[in-house]
Formats: sequence, C-alpha cells, structure tokens
Amino acid sequence: MLKKRIMQSLALAAIAALGVGVSAPASHAVSQTIQVYISADTNIQDLWNKTLIPAFKAAYPDYDVNVTFDLHGTHDAQETAKITAASVLHKNPGVDLIDGGFVTTLGAAGLLYHPNPGLLPNIANVNKAVLKAGLGGIPYRASSVLLAYNSKNVATPPATLDDLLTWIKAHPGKFTYNAPNGGGSGYSFVQTVVDKYLSDADRTALVAGAAPSLESKWAQGLETLRQLNKFTYGQNGTYPANNAETLTDLATGLVDMGTVWSDQFASALKAGTMPANIKVTQISNPSLTGGASYLGIPNSSTNKVGARLLANWVLSPAAQNLIVSGTLNGFPVIPLSMLDPKATVAFTGVDIQHLRAGYISANANDLKSAWASAVPGK
Amino acid sequence: MISVRRKVNRESSRAPHGARPSLSGFALALPPLLLVVVFVGIPILIGLTFSLGFTQGPNRVISLIGQQIHIKSHWWGTFAAYSDVLHDSRFLGDLALTLVVTSISTVFVIAMALGIAMYQRLIGGKKASVLVTLSIVPLFVPVVISAWAIHTFYGGDGFMRTLFSHLGINFPTLTSTPVAIVIGSVWTALPFSILMISSGMQAIPNALIEAARDCGAPTPKIISNILIPLARTPIIIAASFTAIGILGSYTIPLFLGPNQPTMLGVEISNFFGAYNRPQQSLVMAFFVFLAASGIAILYVWQNIKSARESGRI
Repeated sequence: MLKKRIMQSLALAAIAALGVGVSAPASHAVSQTIQVYISADTNIQDLWNKTLIPAFKAAYPDYDVNVTFDLHGTHDAQETAKITAASVLHKNPGVDLIDGGFVTTLGAAGLLYHPNPGLLPNIANVNKAVLKAGLGGIPYRASSVLLAYNSKNVATPPATLDDLLTWIKAHPGKFTYNAPNGGGSGYSFVQTVVDKYLSDADRTALVAGAAPSLESKWAQGLETLRQLNKFTYGQNGTYPANNAETLTDLATGLVDMGTVWSDQFASALKAGTMPANIKVTQISNPSLTGGASYLGIPNSSTNKVGARLLANWVLSPAAQNLIVSGTLNGFPVIPLSMLDPKATVAFTGVDIQHLRAGYISANANDLKSAWASAVPGK
Repeated sequence: MISVRRKVNRESSRAPHGARPSLSGFALALPPLLLVVVFVGIPILIGLTFSLGFTQGPNRVISLIGQQIHIKSHWWGTFAAYSDVLHDSRFLGDLALTLVVTSISTVFVIAMALGIAMYQRLIGGKKASVLVTLSIVPLFVPVVISAWAIHTFYGGDGFMRTLFSHLGINFPTLTSTPVAIVIGSVWTALPFSILMISSGMQAIPNALIEAARDCGAPTPKIISNILIPLARTPIIIAASFTAIGILGSYTIPLFLGPNQPTMLGVEISNFFGAYNRPQQSLVMAFFVFLAASGIAILYVWQNIKSARESGRI
C-alpha cells in the first residue's frame, strides 16, 4: 500500500517537473535574460560588470544580463566545443553573446549569426575592413600592444624594431616580455620580431588563414629571440608568466622597458599602480600588433533579439564613450567625431585606425608552441 | 621484532566479532565504485581511444577543433600522436624535470615530517604540540596564495634579495628555477605528511619504547628498529600521496618554475589550451598516469601487506 502511494507521488512529481520544464522557456522573464560569456582578463570583466551592464540595464530596464566569466580564456577550447556541439545537435548553448578571442574562430566555422545594418543599425558606423575581418564577429572595442619605458632612465625610446633590438643588447637585463602562451602583450612582441623577416604577402597570409607551410619561415625570427635570452630580464631565458607580471616588473623598476597592452597600461596608470614616469610609445617597421575585440552571437542562441539589442547598444556613442573613458581606457570602433572630445584627448599621437593585425588563432597557437621549443632556457 | 609488530597490529585492527561480508556491505561500497567507473573510468577510456586516433563518436567535436589531429590508420588506431610527443624536443626535458622535482620534494617532505613526528613522539610536551599545530597551517592556505607569496619572497625584488643586499651579498633570484618548485611543493605537501606520520607514531605503544630504553637501546636504535618499522604504513601512504600530488601539480610550477622545461602538469595545459593540440596533451597525460600508477602500486602493495600481517586477508 505504502509502496503504491510512494509510486503515485513520484509520478506526480515527475509530471509537475515536466510541466515546469515545458513552460519555463516560454515564460516572459526568462527570455529577457541575456547570457553573456566573457573570456578575458579582469579589466574586461570590470568593463562589463561595473560599467556597461549597469548602463545597459538603466537604458533597458526590462532586460537582465547574466555574465559567465573565464579568466585569461582558460576554457576557450571547451567553450568552443560546447557551442560547436550545441549547434550540431540543435540545442541551446546557454550563451547569447560572447566576448572573447575565440569569437573569430567560431565565425570561421560558420557558427555565428551574421550582423547586418538592418537588424543592428549602429554597425553602419564601424570600419568596414575591421567588420569583415571578424567573420561574423561584431567589433566593439580595440586595443594595441605598446612599448612601455621608464622615462627616468630612457630619454629617447626606440622608434623602430631594429632600434629596440639594439637597445635591448646595449642594456642587459632591462627589457622583458611575457611568455606568449600567458598573454597577448608578450605574444605581440614575438610575432613582431618573427614578422621582421617575412614578406608582406606572407604576413597577410598568416593573418588570413591557417598556413602551416609558412611556419618554417619563423626560424630566423625565433633565432633572433633566442639570442636575446642573455639580454632580457632574468638573463638565462626566463620570462614573466603573463601580462600582469610585465606590468609589475615595470612598476617596481626591475626593468626599464617592456611590451604592454594599451588598455591595461592606461588603467594601471589611472589606478596609481603604475608610476607616472612610465610612458608608452609605438614602434614601427614593423609595429607591435593590435586590433579589435569582437562580440559574437552564436547561431544556436535562443535569445538573439536580446543579444542583438545589447550588441547594438554597445556600438552606440554613449556606450563607446564609456569604453574610452571608463576604467578600461579602450580604443573606440566608431569615428572619434561621434565621441566626447574630452575622452579622446588621450589618443593624440597613437594611430588607432590602422592597427597591425595578429595571426589567426591556428597560426598563433603554433607560434606560441614554436617559441616555447626554440627560445626559453636555450 | 616482526612478531611484536604482528601482535600490535592484530590487537589494534582486527575486525569486530560478528562482522561478516554481506550484500548490504557491498551495496554501501557500490555508489563510489559506480561514480569512479562512470565519471573517471569511461572518460579515461574515451581519452585513450582519442590519443590512438579514434576521432568519431564522443571524440568528434574535439577533433573538429583541435590542431595536428592524427586519424587512425589501422583498426587499432595509430601511434602518431605518441611519436609526436616523444620526438618533441620539450617532452624529455619536461619528463625529467617532473620526475626529479617529484623525487627530491618527496624525500624532503618525508624527512621533515619524520623529524617533527619523532620529536613529538620521543620528547613530546607542549612545545612539540605547538610545533605540530603550526606546521599544519599551510594546509589552510590556498595553493595560489602560497605560490604567489613564495614568488614575491624569492623574486628579483623579493624579501630575500633585499635583505641580503643590505648585507652586501647578492642572493640569487630563485623564482623561475626548479629550486623554487621544490620549495613550493614541500610547503604545500608537508602538512598532510606530518598529520599522517605523527598520528602513526603516536599510536605506537609507550611500553615498546620504554622496554627498549630499559635494555639500553640508544635513541637512533629505537628510531630505526621500533618507530620507523611500526609507522611504516602511514609513512608509505604519506610518501605515495605526496609523490602523486607533486607529479600532477600545476599552480606551483606555473608560478614558480621556468617557462621551459616545465613540469608536465603545466605542459599538458599548454598543449591543450595555448597550442590547441588536445591529442598530444592526452598522450602526455597518459605518461603522467603511468608514472602515478607506479607509485600507486607501491601503495596498494603496502596496504595488502599490512592487511595480511594483521590477519584481515
């Protein structure tokens, strides 16, 4: 008797659970939540959580934004796998808008919803070439790697890559860049040195698509980097693990020069963790790399309307002003003339419209691996 | 001596009267067993097939995304990914560093834990208890925090270098060297070993030590003939757990070690994430798995031996 009653209540509970499961996606409140996935450093986490999302919610009180954060993109491969699998199986990936380096990889695999000015009006203000390079990703901010130097010890910073290499050899132990697998600022220096020995056509090919046949041409650049081992900080071929460590080494005066992200440097300067005598400059021939960061809306997202609304708002002058002047100090992707002139003063002297692009991720991954084989500790 | 140990073990750990194997006992053991089979065993099998080049079924998605994927060329698969790893100039250096750091750290940990445990057992008193309690503190400090603390302590502008520079001595920068990995590993692994070994030594009856003293046995003799043999099981458990833990460590070698060579835990993560070569990272994981199995066999053998001595099997 008791057994039967238990079975009955279990069956009832199961039916109730099913009912909830069926009705939940249709309910109003759930569809108004936009699931945002961020794969980046903590400064980007702050940009979304402390600046963009509160302002978006103030403009659109009906919407709620839920952020999933992955520090340094440690789980990019898994997240890519999850979104790929969700698309293949026609399931909800649980993500509506992605901010991360793997957005262009998803774009190349045809997994992104393609933006067009009809449904995303503000995209009309974005540089066409930058938009095209996103392969379906929506560019929303930009940043560049710059050369930071201690102005107390370095009167005139190097202007070209050759000058920089000469300076490094003349000042042993005073330059550093982080291991490329730990952060983009060190990676940019490695790519720039490798690019020095490549033709323009080869560089373009490595940016555009996977090109394993060109990778053997990196040898000369990697040899140059290996020869720097005894001149960089540490002097036995050891390098800082990530972007933050390079910034710390500069701030504490351990090194006089290093490569840094423009936005991380500007934020540190504003926060006071970077002394005012550390300044930044860009080198030329070739320049350190930079580029846009892209947002992506997966094809399989169940709330494309909300994701589109948020992406369109991020491209509005109001939101771009927040990106430029807030804690992030990023570069805007819409013309400076549309922005608050006070906020854009900082960009005098840095060409933010023509940033030299980094390799596509497949080649970048191989370059990181090639560097680890050829340079540290050798 | 052996007969004494047997007697002690027999009296202390014999199963209570009336306990016999039953179905309900097996049912109690079933959930963890199922958990291990489903959530550990099956993924390992899938991983093994992927490392051998089976790229369909559960391995389909990862094969679409990963770079340098080798697809099986025989019915049983292919060893191409294994050959990749063995021919990679980084792998042998990484493996050597991993094994050397693991063995040196384990020896240090066990030696230091033995020292504290014997101090508490033979001399005892309030001071010894305070010492043991203090030595457990690192157990409650997250590894990330302690790794960063050690980094700032031994770094280029760290405490040690600053202090010695005031004395006119150039203290070496230890961060980014294998020495720093050993320091970090010993710091994190020591508390568990102290807990294991000191409680093992506390369980040794006083009568044995006093009898040996009455017969005129010097302290080294008491240590080598009574304390260490009777605490052998906890010592071996502590050593194998410490070694397996250090073998697979990630945070300590990432923060404190050199970029290259690095320990396999970090290299596996580099291959899986930064270089996007999941197959090769799995192959390395199987090498770590093999090394850990070697240590695990030692542990199981010791368990069986002590169970046999105490008459449980």
